[in-house]
Amino acid sequence: MFLQQLLNSIAIGSVYALTSMGATLIYGILGILDIANAGAYVLGAYLGLLFYSLSGNILIAFVVTMIITGLFGILIQKYVYRPLLSQPAYIPLIASIGIFIFIENIIRLIAGPTIKEFTVNLPFQSLNFANLHINNVWVLIFIVALILMFLLWYLLKMTKIGLAWRATAQDLDIAKTMGINTNRVISLNFFLGYSFAASAGILIGILYNSIYPTMGSVVSYKMLAIIVLGGLGNPFGTLVAALLIGFIETMVGAYIGFFIPRNAIAFVALVIILLISPQGLFTQKSRI
Amino acid sequence: MKRKVFSLILVVIMVLAFNSLAMAQDDPIKLGFFAPVTGPAAADGESALNSAKLAIEVINEKGGIDGREVELVNYDDHLDSKQSVSIAQKLTTRDNVVAVVSGSYSGTTRPAANIYQNAKVPMISAYAIHPDIPKSGDYIFQQSFPGPVQGKVGGYMAVDNLGAQKIAILYVDNDFGNTLNDNFQKYVEDKGAEVVYVDSFAIGEREFNPVLTKIKGLNPDLIYVVAYAGEGAAIMRQSVDVGIEAQILGTEGMDSTTQFLQVAGDAAEGLIITTNLNRDSEEEQVRDYINRYTEKYGFAPDMVGASTYDGFMLLAHVMRQVGPDSEAIKDAMYEVEDYMTNTGLLYRYNEIGEAVKPVQVQIVKDGEFHYYDQITDMDIIAP
Repeated sequence: MFLQQLLNSIAIGSVYALTSMGATLIYGILGILDIANAGAYVLGAYLGLLFYSLSGNILIAFVVTMIITGLFGILIQKYVYRPLLSQPAYIPLIASIGIFIFIENIIRLIAGPTIKEFTVNLPFQSLNFANLHINNVWVLIFIVALILMFLLWYLLKMTKIGLAWRATAQDLDIAKTMGINTNRVISLNFFLGYSFAASAGILIGILYNSIYPTMGSVVSYKMLAIIVLGGLGNPFGTLVAALLIGFIETMVGAYIGFFIPRNAIAFVALVIILLISPQGLFTQKSRI
Repeated sequence: MKRKVFSLILVVIMVLAFNSLAMAQDDPIKLGFFAPVTGPAAADGESALNSAKLAIEVINEKGGIDGREVELVNYDDHLDSKQSVSIAQKLTTRDNVVAVVSGSYSGTTRPAANIYQNAKVPMISAYAIHPDIPKSGDYIFQQSFPGPVQGKVGGYMAVDNLGAQKIAILYVDNDFGNTLNDNFQKYVEDKGAEVVYVDSFAIGEREFNPVLTKIKGLNPDLIYVVAYAGEGAAIMRQSVDVGIEAQILGTEGMDSTTQFLQVAGDAAEGLIITTNLNRDSEEEQVRDYINRYTEKYGFAPDMVGASTYDGFMLLAHVMRQVGPDSEAIKDAMYEVEDYMTNTGLLYRYNEIGEAVKPVQVQIVKDGEFHYYDQITDMDIIAP
């Protein structure tokens, strides 16, 4: 029973990690709380279903969706955030909320408000042994999360563009004077941030076999709790924070009961942890 | 000359004014409507709006009300009670509708009901079932049986029909869920069954593995689930995943073909729900409604749509008798007797404005809802 709940919590935590990673990357480099990332999550889920039904191949659907959503991220960055960069932080925040609402409603108008099924037959089945259940979509989520995290780590630590990225994250203006093409770095950052969100949207769509225009609304605020807890803009911290929130939610639900809504537990945990450690779990030093 | 032109214009204006007065009799009769067409309940909102439009079409096809056309004045409340209140003000003061159908949830319909009551405009709540809604006053009616009745019928099905002794409950934390849970729990406990677990969840929740794992450990005979289509489908699928074998008893919240049955798939087999729409009904009007709706919109209607349609048909039925006058409609509603709706035979309205109707029990077989039982016992269904 405890072991099953632990597995449940890891699955939920991985889902959170994947959904918050895009916004973490963007906060890490520009210091913008990108609520619109939850819009990319919804957009990704719908494009994923579209390309899956067109191609019949989930891998193709993943790749094409991630590229298109990533390009969409570049456009948002170029035409919405870049002109607002010199403004106080709350202005891009409001813009990002606006974009999120816009995306949700455009999708509702085109695809309709009803829940659509996202049934994908995976080449491997769910596992059941010794009273434990491991869902096959969880396995897929672990695998995709691992691949994406590895790619991110490799890009940031092992490549020249990663170095430029870290430099830009530390100080945009100085990086620029050092000859780094910061616009390109920021574009890459948004590309990855939005394509991560898109992959999360597809995976969650498959996990619950349903996508709908408002599927991003819980994500949009829970993502904030997780990236704040993870030390704002720190991918590793976000991963740990996501697993921790997944664990706390599951264990509170399993052993105490939902005396408050499950989605509020993340925020209670956030408040308690911030009271003890105001920097979040990880300090800014280890950010990107 | 100038004076002549002026008086001519005056005459023209007066003629036009008289003309429009005379025309007023032939103006369409306005019926108000609001539903959450955008926002978190957009799917139900659209279902309700589709049926409202279909109902108006059908009423006009049959010659309207004594030859006068009926016009739908509809608004989107975004599932926001501030919106539903301001819509109520608009409908009653600016649009001057003769009656209103609510296609929205209890949370939005409750505060709006007071405004309709004060404006003396009859309102029929299509599927919002909170018991306080009809208590707002004598102009406020419910199309469907009130929530407490459905909760009681759930309890009756669980204990008396399915013989459950150990029961777990999962309900959505809003007016709908709380009303049904309270009445279900009271009934089963009075009958001596044991409630081993009760938990609630927020609208939009999709992750039930932790809760269901816990419920599995408690080994209940039956799980009572008060959820909407999305949450309900997640519960059904995940309960199969964690290996729960107990019978699951649901409510009208899961009564949706595209949104619930298709998403839940095989996991929904054997589910029993309490609702107001009998899909196997032999009644011609029910078949007509289901066929016509499916033809027009490309998918089968649900109880939300059927209830909304019934609300308008009931208004049309009453207006054909007493004319499009708000007060006369209100009085005539209390006189309605044994009126056949898509959602069962409406026996009558009680003095509060609650519908006395049979409750349908449906079971999921081969991916479709089918007849399982119909509860007509007055001891259970009388509000």
